[in-house]
Amino acid sequence: MSGTKPDILWAPHQVDRFVVCDSELSLYHVESTVNSELKAGSLRLSEDSAATLLSINSDTPYMKCVAWYLNYDPECLLAVGQANGRVVLTSLGQDHNSKFKDLIGKEFVPKHARQCNTLAWNPLDSNWLAAGLDKHRADFSVLIWDICSKYTPDIVPMEKVRLSAGETETTLLVTKPLYELGQNDACLSLCWLPRDQKLLLAGMHRNLAIFDLRNTSQKMFVNTKAVQGVTVDPYFHDRVASFYEGQVAIWDLRKFEKPVLTLTEQPKPLTKVAWCPTRTGLLATLTRDSNIIRLYDMQHTPTPIGDETEPTIIERSVQPCDNYIASFAWHPTSQNRMIVVTPNRTMSDFTVFERISLAWSPITSLMWACGRHLYECAEEENDNSLEKDIATKMRLRALSRYGLDTEQVWRNHVLAGNDDPQLKSLWYTLHFMKQYTEDMDQKSPGNKGSLVYAGIKSIVKSSLGMVESSRHNWSGLDKQTDIQNLNEERILALQLCGWIKKGTDIDVGPFLNSLVQEGEWERAAAVALFNSDIRRAIQILNEGASSEKGDLNLNVVAMALSGYTDEKNSLWREMCSTLRLQLNNPYLCVMFAFLTSETGSYDGVLHENKVAVRDRVAFACKFLSDTQLNRYIEKLTNEMKEAGNLEGILLTGLTKDGVDLMESYVDRTGDVQTASYCMLQGSPLDVLKDERVQYWIENYRNLLDAWRFWHKRAEFDIHRSKLDPSSKPLAQVFVSCNFCGKSISYSCSAVPHQGRGFSQYGVSGSPTKSKVTSCPGCRKPLPRCALCLINMGTPVSSCPGGSKSDEKVDLSKDKKLAQFNNWFTWCHNCRHGGHAGHMLSWFRDHAECPVSACTCKCMQLDTTGNLVPAETVQP
Amino acid sequence: MFVARSIAADHKDLIHDVSFDFHGRRMATCSSDQSVKTHSGSVWRVTWAHPEFGQVLASCSFDRTAAVWEEIVGESNDKLRGQSHWVKRTTLVDSRTSVTDVKFAPKHMGLMLATCSADGIVRIYEAPDVMNLSQWSLQHEISCKLSCSCISWNPSSSRAHSPMIAVGSDDSSPNTMAKVQIFEYNENTRKYAKAETLMTVTDPVHDIAFAPNLGRSFHILAIATKDVRIFTLKPVRVLIMLMYLAVFLSANYMDNWKCTGILKGNGSPVNGSSQQGSSNPSLGSNIPNLQNSLNGSSAGRYFFPPLDSPRAGSRWSSYAQLLPPPPPPPPPPPPPLVEHSCDADTASLQYPHPHRGYFSRPLNPLPENEGV
Repeated sequence: MSGTKPDILWAPHQVDRFVVCDSELSLYHVESTVNSELKAGSLRLSEDSAATLLSINSDTPYMKCVAWYLNYDPECLLAVGQANGRVVLTSLGQDHNSKFKDLIGKEFVPKHARQCNTLAWNPLDSNWLAAGLDKHRADFSVLIWDICSKYTPDIVPMEKVRLSAGETETTLLVTKPLYELGQNDACLSLCWLPRDQKLLLAGMHRNLAIFDLRNTSQKMFVNTKAVQGVTVDPYFHDRVASFYEGQVAIWDLRKFEKPVLTLTEQPKPLTKVAWCPTRTGLLATLTRDSNIIRLYDMQHTPTPIGDETEPTIIERSVQPCDNYIASFAWHPTSQNRMIVVTPNRTMSDFTVFERISLAWSPITSLMWACGRHLYECAEEENDNSLEKDIATKMRLRALSRYGLDTEQVWRNHVLAGNDDPQLKSLWYTLHFMKQYTEDMDQKSPGNKGSLVYAGIKSIVKSSLGMVESSRHNWSGLDKQTDIQNLNEERILALQLCGWIKKGTDIDVGPFLNSLVQEGEWERAAAVALFNSDIRRAIQILNEGASSEKGDLNLNVVAMALSGYTDEKNSLWREMCSTLRLQLNNPYLCVMFAFLTSETGSYDGVLHENKVAVRDRVAFACKFLSDTQLNRYIEKLTNEMKEAGNLEGILLTGLTKDGVDLMESYVDRTGDVQTASYCMLQGSPLDVLKDERVQYWIENYRNLLDAWRFWHKRAEFDIHRSKLDPSSKPLAQVFVSCNFCGKSISYSCSAVPHQGRGFSQYGVSGSPTKSKVTSCPGCRKPLPRCALCLINMGTPVSSCPGGSKSDEKVDLSKDKKLAQFNNWFTWCHNCRHGGHAGHMLSWFRDHAECPVSACTCKCMQLDTTGNLVPAETVQP
Repeated sequence: MFVARSIAADHKDLIHDVSFDFHGRRMATCSSDQSVKTHSGSVWRVTWAHPEFGQVLASCSFDRTAAVWEEIVGESNDKLRGQSHWVKRTTLVDSRTSVTDVKFAPKHMGLMLATCSADGIVRIYEAPDVMNLSQWSLQHEISCKLSCSCISWNPSSSRAHSPMIAVGSDDSSPNTMAKVQIFEYNENTRKYAKAETLMTVTDPVHDIAFAPNLGRSFHILAIATKDVRIFTLKPVRVLIMLMYLAVFLSANYMDNWKCTGILKGNGSPVNGSSQQGSSNPSLGSNIPNLQNSLNGSSAGRYFFPPLDSPRAGSRWSSYAQLLPPPPPPPPPPPPPLVEHSCDADTASLQYPHPHRGYFSRPLNPLPENEGV
């Protein structure tokens, strides 16, 4: 407290107050500023807290040390040790309780004046205050005062002295201490031992001493230099830390002869050592002229007596601020929080964070541990600004039965959320492929069908050198272009692209109409134009401009379009080729690119990446010669493969190439769901056998399992075995007869089919149902159900056990379960069993097996079995 | 928008690890408080086995052991009637020092367990009989020569990828080299051999995790040092050699990874968290930093020549093409950390599923408030 070096103290009970003391005492109040602005006059302590000065007390000059009264009642009572050895009680509170009013200003005076080094309140007897003083030949250095000594005048005589000079206030002076210890010695540090109220540990000159007030003549001591800053571990009362220069010694009071361990020496002398009050075995140390607080985690040495020989301290440092730290104080209750003060009295509120450990659950909830608390992170639903994670998307899609629509294949993209153009393209492609394969198979059951699934690339290859081009006259205008004669393969390609519909008809009309209906006027206009129908294109644009959602500019575009001239050097051509670059819509852009292009060079259209791949490919099929087309398709395919663009499936089909493309898509997105469903859609078997495809399917199934979407997984498996019969699993369970050992599955398999008609009405036990109560092999009876005691194979009678109301509630469920109720079921552990329906209803209310004297907890044996499938709890 | 909710945890001291089971329905935590007197030291990590093997947990501790636990349903013993309790099935005592991490292998490998310890040895155990969890045989001992802090199995179950394990070291002595080593199982020698050393990672590594593979043809590995780094490991076939190309993704991950939310460790909201990402001034200022330094050094791409020539017969050559050493990690934001030893601070990583745009950035801001 030498004026330059402030010290800092938290209030022991009012957790939002602290005192900074240098030449005066300043009381601060800490406030959180998370939800409010910084108030005027308050000091920022950290990002989310600020301090306000409540009061300043400068009554006590020559402060050497300060200690806060530990009891609740006079809230801001402090003991101040002065340079002359006097201890003064002072207060910072505004409203003193009258009962304690006379305590304030009380002074405790030693016989001989010398510096007071340390003060310590007794934690058990709140009125006892120990003061450690410098050495005096004829006096004691440890004085224990009773602050309420006024009330016991017979023990401590007390005199009132009116102070001279300007002071008018009467001060209580106490000169007789309760105990006097350590004659002719110096006391540098003090602390009470929590084990007993009368034990005091003092760092004397060159030794540590434990004074027992019950017998003041005796003391236990050990010679050491480490006598400063003695402090007891609040969690481990026999453990004490003290320091000397740069070295901290840890003592065990039960083995007091020598330190249990000494911490690595610091180059600079230490100024403060303090145990963390909120964590066991965490010691903080501060050296002079340093901005670092060192923390020692002594977690693992609670019992120094043991075979633990390795150093077991985890050391680390924190730097709460950039300046040197004058002092710090742990917060008495907040976990790992401390406040530090620098020599120029800037303060910083600061929490020592521990390693945070995190865990994601399979359903994107995040959990983390901070200190000894656990937190869960919840995502608030209303935030749609962020793109959803692929895992979340896959989950939602699985719930909406994405991929399972095998009739209207294109509908799958709607199930996927209708927001991904690539998926849309993919599912339309697959839809067309399926449609035309069926067509082909009907027409000529040759091998053409597989060609469709092989993609346009293969189709185009197969038609090499068979097409001649012809001049084509435009309707309405006289642009001369090379339009390729459409052979069968090209028509097929155009069909796959969606430009023309099924049948021999090569009219794009229906396609245009559907585009117009969807409001894709630009695209429709471009398609019309590419099909040599500029009138229709203009008409479409006009339509678009006049519709509600349409863009009025479309009229302007239509106008520009109608001015088309074939003249090479016309102004129209010049303007259009420059202005088209400013058009935002790629389709409008390619329309002008097409019209202004030289005959036979369509790079402006073919390489416009924003135009859908299917339109570009269809365009290429119409206008490019075989070699050009082949080269273009080849190039585009490679681009698509590189980018993992699903639109490219149109080109590659479900071939090895397609798997390559899908691989880069999966690498990019991790969307194994789409990959699995797509590949199952119609791939030839050798593609399905591809390791990568199998791997995606496996991964997707694992995901569904991890999400507890078991029903979805089962549906997927069914779907898969339909399309890939080789993946059908073999029967996993056989029930064999006890007597002859033959499988009884023959009779079992008959039951569900026969029962179907009746189970719909919830009627079981129909007369027509075969009563297969005996083994079909040896005619011996089947085992009995543990509940109804009737041989298995008989239909279940109504639900036993449960009360009437229960039955009603469960009725709908039972309908669904009617067939299942007849099933054999048994416990693997005790081998008791019976009808599945009976067993389920029994275990609804019971934990143990229904067989008497069997204590098996059949249903609890498997914890996974108790998990509810996630689909059933989903909205 | 992310909100933190507190969960009542019955721990009296620092929680070191949290772990979800396969279905995300149960969670295990471990702490320093040794509240269950099972280990005689802090329990560092806890991990679940695949439910296929039952309800099985493994933990590792400062007390030099790792343990395997199984949940069983109380039988007729009246006290435990109807409740389940956990039984310690085995204690693995091979380590001479603190066991710092324990992880079950992906389920297709069977019931296998890898531990790593402060003396730098990775041990791989196998329970040959999945019904008998008290018998574990030590299959492999891999010496890493550096004190290990964390391990991660490659979760890929593809037949094209052989079992692989990545080991991180928190050795803080200044002269030591690369802190992340990757070992791969060799079918021919039936041993784990070093496949790759990430030369660019020289800071102490606190945690390491492979992303779930999910059908990808390459692997993604995240490493928590002073910052979070993400590497891709691409198997590259050259003739008959299979090599790995480790590419540090940091160069473009500022673009790929967007911060979707910042939360404070203690669950309190971050000031002005309404503008996510940009609300963190120190984060914002780091970005130009990073890019500048990248641009500055991108001229010199490093090519490490193979240490052994491929012909020398070693299957592995560390033919790694690496980007320049990552930019000097942004100065630890205030309050910065000067750290000294083991297991101190950086947030740990876990990814049960690919979470683009999630896992790296939310972690980075945390140390900011973390102090150490």
